[in-house]
Amino acid sequence: MVAADFIEQLLNGLTLGMVYVLLAAGLSVIFGVMDVINFSHGELFALGAYFSLSIIAPFGAGTGFWIAIVVAPVAVGLIGAAIERTTVRPLYGRDPLYHILLTFGLVLVINDGIRLIWGTQQRQLAVPEYLSRPVSILGVQVSVYNYFMIVFAALLAVVTWYLLNRTKYGMIIRAGSQDREMVRNVGIDIDQYYTLVFGVGAALAAVAGIVLGGYQNVNTGMGNSVIIPAFVVVVLGGLGSFRGAVFGGLLVGVVQTLMRAYNGSVVATVGDVTLSVPNLEGLTVYLLMIAVLLVKPQGLFGTRGEESESEGEILVGGYGGVLADSTRVRLGGIAVVALALAPLAILFMGDQYYLVVLNEILIWAIFALSLDIVMGYAGLVPLGHTMFYGVGAYTAALVMLHYSQSVFVVLLGAILICAVLAWIVGSLSIRVSGVYFAMITLAFAELLYSAVFKFDFTGGSDGLLGFEAFLGFGTIGASLSNIEFGLLGYELGQQFVFYYLALLIAVLSLLFARRMMNAPFGSVLQSIRESEERAEFIGYDVNRYKRRAFVISGGMAGLAGGLLAVSPSTVIISPDQTLNWIHSGEVIVIALFGGMGTLYGPMIGSGVFFGAEEFLSSYTDQWRLIIGTMFILFVLFVPRGIVSIPSLVAQRLETANNADGPVDMDEPEVRSDD
Amino acid sequence: MSSEGTSPDSSVGIDRSRRQFIAAAGAAGALGLAGCQGGSTGGEEAVTVASLNPMTGPFSSLGPGQRTGAELAVAEINDTDDYDFEFELVTGDTETEAGAAQSEAQRVVQEEGAEFVFGAISSSVALGLNDFAGQSEHIYFPGGAAVPITGSACNEWVFRFETNTAQIAEAISAYSVNNLGNNVWFHYADYAYGDSVYNRTSRRMENASDDYTEVGTSTSELGASNYGSFITQISNSDADVVVLGMTGGDLVNFTNQAADQGLTDQMAVVGPTQTFQSVRAGTGSNSVGTFGGARYDPSLETGDNQAFVEAYASENDREPGNFARVGYDSMRLMAKGMNEAGSTEPGDVRDALEGGTFTTVLGDITLRESDHQATNPTWMAELVAGDGDTADVELLEQVPGSETLPPASDLGCEM
Repeated sequence: MVAADFIEQLLNGLTLGMVYVLLAAGLSVIFGVMDVINFSHGELFALGAYFSLSIIAPFGAGTGFWIAIVVAPVAVGLIGAAIERTTVRPLYGRDPLYHILLTFGLVLVINDGIRLIWGTQQRQLAVPEYLSRPVSILGVQVSVYNYFMIVFAALLAVVTWYLLNRTKYGMIIRAGSQDREMVRNVGIDIDQYYTLVFGVGAALAAVAGIVLGGYQNVNTGMGNSVIIPAFVVVVLGGLGSFRGAVFGGLLVGVVQTLMRAYNGSVVATVGDVTLSVPNLEGLTVYLLMIAVLLVKPQGLFGTRGEESESEGEILVGGYGGVLADSTRVRLGGIAVVALALAPLAILFMGDQYYLVVLNEILIWAIFALSLDIVMGYAGLVPLGHTMFYGVGAYTAALVMLHYSQSVFVVLLGAILICAVLAWIVGSLSIRVSGVYFAMITLAFAELLYSAVFKFDFTGGSDGLLGFEAFLGFGTIGASLSNIEFGLLGYELGQQFVFYYLALLIAVLSLLFARRMMNAPFGSVLQSIRESEERAEFIGYDVNRYKRRAFVISGGMAGLAGGLLAVSPSTVIISPDQTLNWIHSGEVIVIALFGGMGTLYGPMIGSGVFFGAEEFLSSYTDQWRLIIGTMFILFVLFVPRGIVSIPSLVAQRLETANNADGPVDMDEPEVRSDD
Repeated sequence: MSSEGTSPDSSVGIDRSRRQFIAAAGAAGALGLAGCQGGSTGGEEAVTVASLNPMTGPFSSLGPGQRTGAELAVAEINDTDDYDFEFELVTGDTETEAGAAQSEAQRVVQEEGAEFVFGAISSSVALGLNDFAGQSEHIYFPGGAAVPITGSACNEWVFRFETNTAQIAEAISAYSVNNLGNNVWFHYADYAYGDSVYNRTSRRMENASDDYTEVGTSTSELGASNYGSFITQISNSDADVVVLGMTGGDLVNFTNQAADQGLTDQMAVVGPTQTFQSVRAGTGSNSVGTFGGARYDPSLETGDNQAFVEAYASENDREPGNFARVGYDSMRLMAKGMNEAGSTEPGDVRDALEGGTFTTVLGDITLRESDHQATNPTWMAELVAGDGDTADVELLEQVPGSETLPPASDLGCEM
């Protein structure tokens, strides 16, 4: 019975694992060959399931399912190829960072498209009757569909393996994932193969979507729910390694399932001590990933060196600026004065809600600024930056609930705890770089996200409520929610006071960051970003500098999180609001959007992002589609962000005036590996 | 903070264009209802009411129903002569997430001037909006079922027409343990709602039968997608009944996989929200043979339900589900409270609603003075094969409204 039980669990694990294999195979090869971190892979997976819903409807489950499983992946594959041609292609040679902005935009567009066409109702994907019944073999009882999933996915995996290993196309693609430059040097135009790789990857994801859709259900969140585990699989297995994707997929599927099945069960009793499997469901895969990355950074089957060659160029917003430094400082001053006067204008309009929006913008401006310190200056891309924002918010709420309500104590607590957390995470992660660093920070963030659900002191899924901030020390000061005073007959409340507090902190943070970056410390960081090897040869301890930058950045993100909790608009601090990975993506997108490497650019990005969201969402439910499109257009045409618009305009004007031929914005981006 | 100081009139003048746009959008949503969109003439007082629903995020399959119900109620209220005021509906998306919800709540209250708010489904979001209502002193009707909303987190501004988990536990506990089997397994999602189903149902079952045995429990993470391992575990136990403390996508996935793996044939699968339209839509024939608590069913002859079902069906080409009826009657209860109070001031309406008895689609219910929870009846139901792709609900037994609720102090409410 125990053995049969275990085999059933193993089969369950393999079922899930095979879906991961299909998902990760495409993702990994796209990743390996093209260096594209494709966040939209999950949405292509969902699109497969939705297409098949529409195909099955007229034909019925019996035949419709089989038609769908052939037609839908082809359709999604074509869409994938079209996406590669129109949006991904222009970005080759740029840092993989830009693919995050691009594919994040694609996620918004595809997801909103799905919502628009198929609605938000979750649906059942009908599978043929004979597949959805239980079957018992030697006391092991699972659904026929489990066997179907395993066999079908395994067949596809074998076909993919064959194509990769026994055909000329496959050979070139594999070669490309190991050393693109060499492939080019022998005269093969590898770029031509990218469309194929992207299309096939998308088709495999679509198959996974259909197969899993039949097992679970079809809903608009299904892409989001698989993308992070899929990344884990890819990184575990090794970027670009098909073998790694297969092994990683099965490993994650089986480990996840077994941890679920046997959590809390007693392993052994030694004297008075009972050894049991700890309740680590959800945490296990991330712990596994961190462990693997620390021991073998290139993943279990990775063939590529640890990002030794720096692929592509990071486009920093500040280059080629047309505005003189003094003008810029003056503009900054004007902006601060305008921001300081903004509440008065809002007061005359009588609508205090805009203060709530401005407060949110300021908090995120600080958060984005903190990211710029590591991303724009040290060249590190953390995909888990929201862990500091979230931990800062939770720390602040907990300090207010249990220790002190003083705003200053609360914010200091948030900064310190997050700086310590950043030091720990930094010490473990900074030894790996590039994509691996991104992934390991993501793993830490996901660990914390899962953890807050499990603890009582963090309020579980409900989060923390009932805290209040006090503007002052000890008994001197006033509770933020009670502050109210009149000015010229207008009633000024808590939002007003908080706004100036947040504005002051934002300006101080910017000045602090500027000072740091203009000091020798900042110059060293920038030299590390430009060439890590050279910085090391000159004698700098590169990792130590990076870690310091990470600690400063973490502390500042914690400050932003602390401000969120202190804000009078905030009544609750909950897991999804603060620790969901989507915020890590958002803050990167905001920083890129504004113009990274400039400090003020990401802050402007925050204003434009939330302003646009506020404006668009009051006119249309499809605002995500518009914002997503905006991201895509920006990454294609304004890659240095909003702050580069003046110089872009100046350049265009110049081009129009001198008929010397076009001065292309993209010109400096010669591929480093060409 | 004092919102008393800001009279509703002063905020009505703000940002006219946008408000008009949203009001028009709200009316357009309810379009076709006897041409009500032209009805704001006649000098009646306009009261801004808000509906904040999860239109995106994990509960995006439930939010639209809530909103449609609220829109229908607003259209009807504006269309009859029973009320000498008109509702102007503003809407927002909570994104099933407390942060987004609280900023939407601030928008509708501070920018749009709404002092009557309905909405939210998830526990965390509703608790956040509870707190906000308490701070800004406006009426709030939550759409979430977690006990603490009118339990430990209750406050004087919050009234709930949604049936809470304790009431549903009452319906399923005694029936299951007396009719379906004594050996019970609990599988629940590891978060507030799941915990509360487990706590309440197991306690009620213990009281209902001496032979009750808890065979085992298992928990999964919220949003888990693969339940094969749990189903195997449950299937290999001695349980006669498995109670599922989960809802939404989690419940759909579990039910589908339970049917595929043969668990549904082997034992009684009982879910407090098993009868939800969205669950039935997501599970198709896989939910046939399972049992569930019912908070509502369109076939009910209680109160003015049939008139509601007819009006809803003619607008939306389908029958209303639980969330639609919550949206519908939460809005109507606000209006009825205003009539009763003879005022549209939140404070007066609160006093009128507190302890008041009103006719709803579930019959006459009372918003208890002690915790503002509606005394709704609940039902035990079985899912049977339907005409179409989805299973039908067959009501087995009713627990009258007066018997579904334990005293407010037991649920932790002190007001």
